[in-house]
Amino acid sequence: MDGIHLMATALAAAKSRLDVSAANLANVSSDGFHKSLVRATLTRDGLVVRTRTDATPGPLRRTGRSFDLAVAGRGGFFVRTPAGLLETARSRSFDRDASGRLVDDRGDALMGARGPIVASADATIDARGIVRSVGRVADRVATIPGTALQSGFVEGANVDGVREMVDVLGEQRAFETAQKTLAALDEERQKDVNDVVRIKA
Amino acid sequence: MDRAMFAAASGMAAQQQNLDVVADNLANADVAGFKGAQATFAAIGGNAQLGTTSTGTRENVAQGKLMKSGGAFDVAIDGTGFFRVERDGERGFTRAGSFARAPDGSLRDGEGWRLATIRIPAGAIDVAVAPDGAVRVHDAVGAQRTVGRIALATFDAPERLRPIGSAVFAVTGGSGMARDLAAGGDRQPKLAFGMLEKSNVSIVESMMAILAAQRAYEANAKGVQAADEMLRIANNIHRS
Repeated sequence: MDGIHLMATALAAAKSRLDVSAANLANVSSDGFHKSLVRATLTRDGLVVRTRTDATPGPLRRTGRSFDLAVAGRGGFFVRTPAGLLETARSRSFDRDASGRLVDDRGDALMGARGPIVASADATIDARGIVRSVGRVADRVATIPGTALQSGFVEGANVDGVREMVDVLGEQRAFETAQKTLAALDEERQKDVNDVVRIKA
Repeated sequence: MDRAMFAAASGMAAQQQNLDVVADNLANADVAGFKGAQATFAAIGGNAQLGTTSTGTRENVAQGKLMKSGGAFDVAIDGTGFFRVERDGERGFTRAGSFARAPDGSLRDGEGWRLATIRIPAGAIDVAVAPDGAVRVHDAVGAQRTVGRIALATFDAPERLRPIGSAVFAVTGGSGMARDLAAGGDRQPKLAFGMLEKSNVSIVESMMAILAAQRAYEANAKGVQAADEMLRIANNIHRS
């Protein structure tokens, strides 16, 4: 691979990194959002960009609504999607539906020991996931073992605005650098082509 | 077109919407019975790095502080539930209990919503509301009688009620139908006469939300600028 094509992949890589930073920044207010991390590696085919999701937990934000659930530290709880699939989640805002089940705005139902949890309006959920209704134990949230639940909180996006801004600047300059290098290579190539021919003539 | 530019622009739109909701909360911070809302957002397509989109707003139905108001017909609900109100055949539900006596004997709030089932007879003086909702009046000769009971309603999912006035809500498919709610007993809401429920908006939290939204908007604007600058550089490649 020659320098000009290598710089072309560098330009594309800087652009892809900006795409990711911009998407991360855009979701700074999306509760439960996990940002993407980008890594560029130099290979035989030039710079190749890979993205992966950053699973670091975001900050917990207090809402005071007892059916907002988040996880403190590691772990997760189980929800059932409208399609019937069981999924783990780290933060959801549930409401009671007409039959008293706790359902979030995607339609996912919070799972307990015996299927979806049915709770009364004044039910509380403690750190171990025990659902109490009027002082009585009604059910227990299905969680990954060792999970500490936080009711009344949601997990905010794990996007750090400052870091993303710095990344945006870096990506812009990386793009510029690749372009300048490309221009220098182009100029050299031009000399090679024009001046070499002139000497021989 | 440009993915980064679209993503950043969606972020700007989201923060604009965020700010609209916070501004609405702040504007109504002094409206009795007002419930603050919060705009919610999610990444487009899970996380396909395409930006963000609004997923609506959520009402915060937590009870506001009750305060003594001195209004002759003010009443607050200490506990869950809503007053049933009506206007021109339309039914609404509110926790704002700032009513005044209309010429026809009904109790109406500032927007004309009438407290359902209650009519104060002409000549009645000294109206009082008991914790269980019973409305008692004295007439000119001092005889006391009960003229009705204030009807409360409750919902399976009050967060999904739809606001139709500053503090009045309507039923939606998500909220479930209104059910009657008894008052005054153990574990039941109690009516507090001469009190009003303040809005549940926290001024401090709202101010913080404004600052955060403003900075996030700026950051996304910088994202648009960076994407634009890259396009400019790309367009100049062949010239340099």
